[in-house]
Amino acid sequence: MLNYTDILVGNYDRMLRGTPTVTFDYLVKQLPTATAFINKKYEVVYVSDRWINDFDFTRKEVIGRSLKDIFGKVTPEWEKVLKDCLKGISHEVSLHQQTDELGNQRWFEWTNTPWYDEKENIIGVILQTEDVTYRIRTEIQAKKLENLFDTKSEITNIGSWEYDVERNHLTWCEITKKLHEVVPTYEPNIDTAINFYKEGYSRNAIALAVDKAIQEGVPYEVNCQIITAKGNEITVITTGKPIFKKGKLIGLIGTFRDITPSLEHEKKAKRQERHFKGIFNSSYQFTGILDTQGTFLEVNETALTFSGLSEEEVVGKKFWDAYWWPIPDYVKDGLKQVVKTAAEGEFMRSEIVVLDKDNNPIPVDFSIKPIYDEDKKIISLLAEGRMIKEMVAARHKLKESEQKFRALYELSPISYILSDFDTGEILDFNTSFEQTTGYTRKSLGTLKVQDILVTGSKTQLLRIKKEIETNQAFGPEEQQYIKKDGTTFPVLVSGSLVGNKKGRKLLWSTAQDISESKQSEARLRAEKKLLRTLIDNLPLNVFIKDLDSNKVLVNKAELDYVGLKEEDVIGKNDYDFYDAESAEISRKEDMEVMQSMKPMLRKETISVKKDGSMTSFLTSKIPLMDEEKKVKGLIGISLDITDLKRKEEELHDLINVTSVQNKKLVNFAHIVSHNLRSHTANFSMLLDFLVSETDVEEKNRIIKMLMEASDNLLETLENLNEVVAISTNINLDKKPVNLFEKIRAVEQNLAAYLKNNNALIINDVDEDLIIKAIPAYAESILMNFITNAIKYRDPMRKPVVRLCAEKQDEYTVLSIKDNGLGIDLKEHGEKLFGMYKTFHKNPEARGIGLYITKNQIEAMNGKITVDSTVGKGTTFKIFFNEQN
Amino acid sequence: MSKIKSVCIIDDDPITVFGIKKMLSMLDLAEDIKTYVNGKEAIDDISRMVESGETIPQVIFLDINMPIMDGWQFLEKFLDLNVDGKVRINIVTSSIDAYDKKQWERFKGLTSHLIDFKNKPIRKHDILEITRVA
Repeated sequence: MLNYTDILVGNYDRMLRGTPTVTFDYLVKQLPTATAFINKKYEVVYVSDRWINDFDFTRKEVIGRSLKDIFGKVTPEWEKVLKDCLKGISHEVSLHQQTDELGNQRWFEWTNTPWYDEKENIIGVILQTEDVTYRIRTEIQAKKLENLFDTKSEITNIGSWEYDVERNHLTWCEITKKLHEVVPTYEPNIDTAINFYKEGYSRNAIALAVDKAIQEGVPYEVNCQIITAKGNEITVITTGKPIFKKGKLIGLIGTFRDITPSLEHEKKAKRQERHFKGIFNSSYQFTGILDTQGTFLEVNETALTFSGLSEEEVVGKKFWDAYWWPIPDYVKDGLKQVVKTAAEGEFMRSEIVVLDKDNNPIPVDFSIKPIYDEDKKIISLLAEGRMIKEMVAARHKLKESEQKFRALYELSPISYILSDFDTGEILDFNTSFEQTTGYTRKSLGTLKVQDILVTGSKTQLLRIKKEIETNQAFGPEEQQYIKKDGTTFPVLVSGSLVGNKKGRKLLWSTAQDISESKQSEARLRAEKKLLRTLIDNLPLNVFIKDLDSNKVLVNKAELDYVGLKEEDVIGKNDYDFYDAESAEISRKEDMEVMQSMKPMLRKETISVKKDGSMTSFLTSKIPLMDEEKKVKGLIGISLDITDLKRKEEELHDLINVTSVQNKKLVNFAHIVSHNLRSHTANFSMLLDFLVSETDVEEKNRIIKMLMEASDNLLETLENLNEVVAISTNINLDKKPVNLFEKIRAVEQNLAAYLKNNNALIINDVDEDLIIKAIPAYAESILMNFITNAIKYRDPMRKPVVRLCAEKQDEYTVLSIKDNGLGIDLKEHGEKLFGMYKTFHKNPEARGIGLYITKNQIEAMNGKITVDSTVGKGTTFKIFFNEQN
Repeated sequence: MSKIKSVCIIDDDPITVFGIKKMLSMLDLAEDIKTYVNGKEAIDDISRMVESGETIPQVIFLDINMPIMDGWQFLEKFLDLNVDGKVRINIVTSSIDAYDKKQWERFKGLTSHLIDFKNKPIRKHDILEITRVA
């Protein structure tokens, strides 16, 4: 610009010399720069159209008019510049603000240069101006932004970015880079930048916004998420603003702000606020915060609820204008004074009365205190009110409980006595005491503790006194009280020492009439004793066992049975009294009963004691329940049935014997009947024949037969008699018999017979062996078997009879072995010992010997067995019973 | 009434045997009378008869209580024999044992032979009644 001024100046002479003035004027008019030539009087001489335009002077005549005229005023600074110019001093380009006719602020760069004539005389000033309003504005804005970025961004964590459209170049500031978590040397471009935005909404939104800003020049502010280079997701507010230069978009500038932490901070702040509010509002006290002038800033809900007001009705009002103060003016004045004093740093407290929402006066413990800030300056006041009503209520409650206590004291079935510890004087007592002792309140003042206590228990009294002196209390213990009528009754007394204000020692005693419980105790004892007597005298063994089968109770019968004292039985179990097997069985029964909860009734058991003695019991075990119906043990009842069992066995034996006897008897009866009948039948038949017989010879034959029949009958009767004798002499005494000797005697008796039959008897019996037998029977038995052995000998062999004996259980067994014919036992076994049974074609066989022998053996409680092989011989075994 | 060809008496009591024989001859009822003193002798002889095809007795008088083989044992064996036609067996006993009565009932049910039971003494009219072909 200055250059062509020089040209202008340089060419000026030529123009003036060779060019008409009109031409010069025209030349100036067309200058591309806004230029005005003014003379020394500051009057415009020449002016370019541009200058007119720039200053909007088109409708104004400027030529010949002074600057002051045109611009309204010339500032002193400008005037100085102009004067300097006229002196030949050039000034730097200066900036001036001009408000145009529309009131718009416009900026101009002024260049004032001296105007020289051809003689180098200064004839005026050349003003050159450039409208820089746009440039200035952009600069200011840029400056502002710069300022913002540089200072604020550090604090607020706001990053900035710039995008140069022409160069397609994106620049991030350090903070923006930090927020993206990229290295400081990172060079972003528009695509990589957009790719930081979270895919989906965020990326779409930013792409759209940037596009719109570039295409349509619309600024944006987008709240979205980006994923940083390190993969963290943050929430950001990103703004963009298009920058134009002369109507053309040259770039975008914008900010980038991480709001992730601020969101959290906000949450935290809100939480703290809520927290404070919670405490503030839930306090039982009335709390308000006032400014130092006494205006409510805040009030808590307790106060609002109490007064029935809303927050708006209180906040902003003066403290003393609040509804709850009673009307009188002096109260208000007083309050004003209080607030004022507090605002000066005093803590104020007093008891005052306020009105609740129903206009009830409520006493309040009121306080107000100053609140200081960090600089120890009082910034507000804390007003608090605590309802004394609560305290009043507490007092009321106390009174109530006092009354309750009084009622209890009077109505209690337990007697209360207040007495002087030292003198024993009774100072107070309750109704229960009156009722139980018969004393009335009239006796107060004269009655002493000693009067109602049974004397003679002085030692007890002394002991109690000592106990009180050391422990300040005594009891509970039993004492005897005397009623007014002189009768005594048992009481359970306890007491404690209380001091009164005058230093007197007072004793509070409680006395519970326990005559009732004493009586029931006695009754219980009697019942227990009765029960004990009962179970002890039962002819049954009674015991109670716990869950482990240990005995917790046993009666006398059980003790007698185990042969021990009670203390040696309680806590022990069956393993301590019985052999392992019996104890094991018993324990199993116990467990079964306790587990199934079903009683075991009348079970026959056998207990074997450690000494081996065996007892049969009829035992019942009944589960024992506690109050909650849970098994806690069992009750056992055992009846000793050993005798019973023995008697039963005896009876059984007896029945056996009887039935055997009976069978025998029936058998015998049949035999008798058979034998007698057969003979009598023969008599009858023969006599029949005889009567009708005419032939003498035949008659004689019949008579001979009758005589034979008669003989047979006689013999039969003798046999039967013998059998009957054995059967009836069943109780003949057994005596010790030397068997060997007996056999020898029989052998001697039969000597001739044996010799005749060439028989041999081998007596292998122990010479000392003694059996218990009826001697006559023993002899008869031996005789019978020996003769039988020979009678039924094998004709081909020399008869040999071998006798030997051995003990077997309770028997001595005599074996008589022969080498005779033998008997087919299959055929004849069951009839062998029958009466009149014969088995061999032996004319001597009468079928009576073995029958009688068997009867004799059985009469001695013995038995007989037989073993035989036809053609080889027979062995009889005779069992002599050693018992009676 | 025609005479019975063969009658046998099994009894160990000679008097009874004599008596029955005498009554039979008095009444002239049998052509031939055999006697055995026990069951064994009787069964042995009758078995022999059956084997040799001889005519066996049509009427048998049988005692129960006998040595060696009693009446019941005889009967047991007799029923096992392969005998043509019916035989009348008259049990003649002095036993009043209920057991014997039961045995009689049992044997009656086991055979097609006619078995009768009589208590001693036997009279002539008894003989007349029981000595006939079954």
